[in-house]
Amino acid sequence: MNTLEYVLDPALRGVFLPAFVAGLGLVVCTALLSPLVVLRRLAFVGQGVSHAALGGIGLAVLAGLSFSGTGLGSVGFYGVVLAFCVGASLLIARMSARREGGRSDEADTSIGIVLVAAMAVGVIALQLAHARGVRNLPAWESVLFGSIVSVGWVDAAVAWGLAVVVAGVLWWGRRSVVFWAFDEPAAAAFGVRGGLVRDVLFVLLAVTIVVAMKLVGVVLATALLVAPAAAALRLSARLGPVVVLSAAVSFVSLVGGLVLSMEMDLPPGACVVAALVVAYGVARGVGRV
Amino acid sequence: MSAAGRGDVDGAGDVVALEGVRFSYATRDASCDDELLALKDVSLRVPAGQRLGVLGPNGGGKSTLVKIVLGLLRPSAGSVRVFGREPVDACRAGLVGYVPQRTMAELAFPLSVSQVIRQGVERGLRPWQRLGAEARRAVDEAVELTGAGGFLDRPIGRLSGGQLQRAMIARAIAARPRLLILDEPAAGIDPAGQQRFAELLGRVHEAMGLTTILVSHDLRAVAAGCDAVACVARTLHAHTSPAGLTPAVLAEVFRHEMEPVLGDLHVDAHAAADCDDPGHAHGHSHVHGGGS
Repeated sequence: MNTLEYVLDPALRGVFLPAFVAGLGLVVCTALLSPLVVLRRLAFVGQGVSHAALGGIGLAVLAGLSFSGTGLGSVGFYGVVLAFCVGASLLIARMSARREGGRSDEADTSIGIVLVAAMAVGVIALQLAHARGVRNLPAWESVLFGSIVSVGWVDAAVAWGLAVVVAGVLWWGRRSVVFWAFDEPAAAAFGVRGGLVRDVLFVLLAVTIVVAMKLVGVVLATALLVAPAAAALRLSARLGPVVVLSAAVSFVSLVGGLVLSMEMDLPPGACVVAALVVAYGVARGVGRV
Repeated sequence: MSAAGRGDVDGAGDVVALEGVRFSYATRDASCDDELLALKDVSLRVPAGQRLGVLGPNGGGKSTLVKIVLGLLRPSAGSVRVFGREPVDACRAGLVGYVPQRTMAELAFPLSVSQVIRQGVERGLRPWQRLGAEARRAVDEAVELTGAGGFLDRPIGRLSGGQLQRAMIARAIAARPRLLILDEPAAGIDPAGQQRFAELLGRVHEAMGLTTILVSHDLRAVAAGCDAVACVARTLHAHTSPAGLTPAVLAEVFRHEMEPVLGDLHVDAHAAADCDDPGHAHGHSHVHGGGS
């Protein structure tokens, strides 16, 4: 099976096209957030929040909500996961920023604790659901690595809606966000509401990760938040070009990864991430010259 | 108190007023345990137009004091007013300019020097607004005054220590604050650079007449351009003019790290007797002077 067949065959296109459109919306979000994640060293926060999704999945399954399906049926399921991830994200933000001048490992510790707590909740909830006879358990593979066949037009609409929100919020707060990310104590002294900026950013991150989950899965979601800006920062020391390059790397990796997956019949999520890693490697090489 | 108009906001004569401020980084209430206090019983008034040097050893609570004045930390006890307001409100009103320690900013950030300098003035803008003519003039003046014009397009991470410092000062004064706070501005800069920095501060003071708080562990940085000096080592040891910094006062403040600061200055017998346990981190202090 190759890329042309996917694009030309109407039946296959029905599977491929929503996933591709959703992916485009998703990479708008991740490409914009990525420079902040890399520069503020939030990669591990992304990891923590994405793993917290497992807790949300457990609770959603226990509540009898359905994971699979391409339509509105899965909205309730993702609503629960989303609420759980946003909660975990804000909890990490609060725990790691409780005291000014605290030890630097507090962020790591709070992420570690929230991450394992959420996963424990997920495992226990799934076990309880299993004991209660819930048969519609999600396949772990698709949770961890994404499932392109489960992405429908609703997901594409959600991804683009989120892209508009992320772009709008970051544009609206760009001065405060950049000042805060560059120099948090000084930003506060100049009157920037650092707590608000951080909370908004963490919520955007959590929502983006949940939307990324269906396409590339929980484990690989953070790759989209880290690799694009990590590559872009190797190529430019200007904020504007870094954002544009981050978007370009994301887009090329998405398209390249999907083509690779169709040509070689490999899981699309893993292929997209592989493309991102290659792009980062290339940027490292080019940046050195 | 001869309040010189500029700093006189909301009818309060003092720009900064600290009253019995205590602070502890310990999580549990440590207000009774002196050993855990980063600051205890600090009372301090900074009148408008004054250039106050805050001198003290590393770990003596100077940065804690700055964070309290900026509203980044809340004191465990006591009161803080900046221009007669809560510190956070004074900062949000744009009354305070801050030059942070060099190590605090994320220097890998892809920003040019001119983008950083404009951060302060742009902060109050609505998302769709651009800098007005007057704000742009303030930026130009700040650049001119600090001599940052030669490297405006360079990435912020590719500056020398002295250049970075000039950029940070330009950012602070471009926003036209009424109080300028500099935290360890001399750290990591060579002696010639420190000399130029002292001259720069003099020029800024001459041009803008700002109330200034300069925090340093370096006696030379403080003595050069300040009208008054507060010595802080967990508590306020002396609040005097630079000429009042006698060896005894300095010895008291720097009991555990006198050598690098005092050099070959004479230290009197009273202070020397206090130095019998150099490894011990700040035991109970013998308070000189207290709040002025």
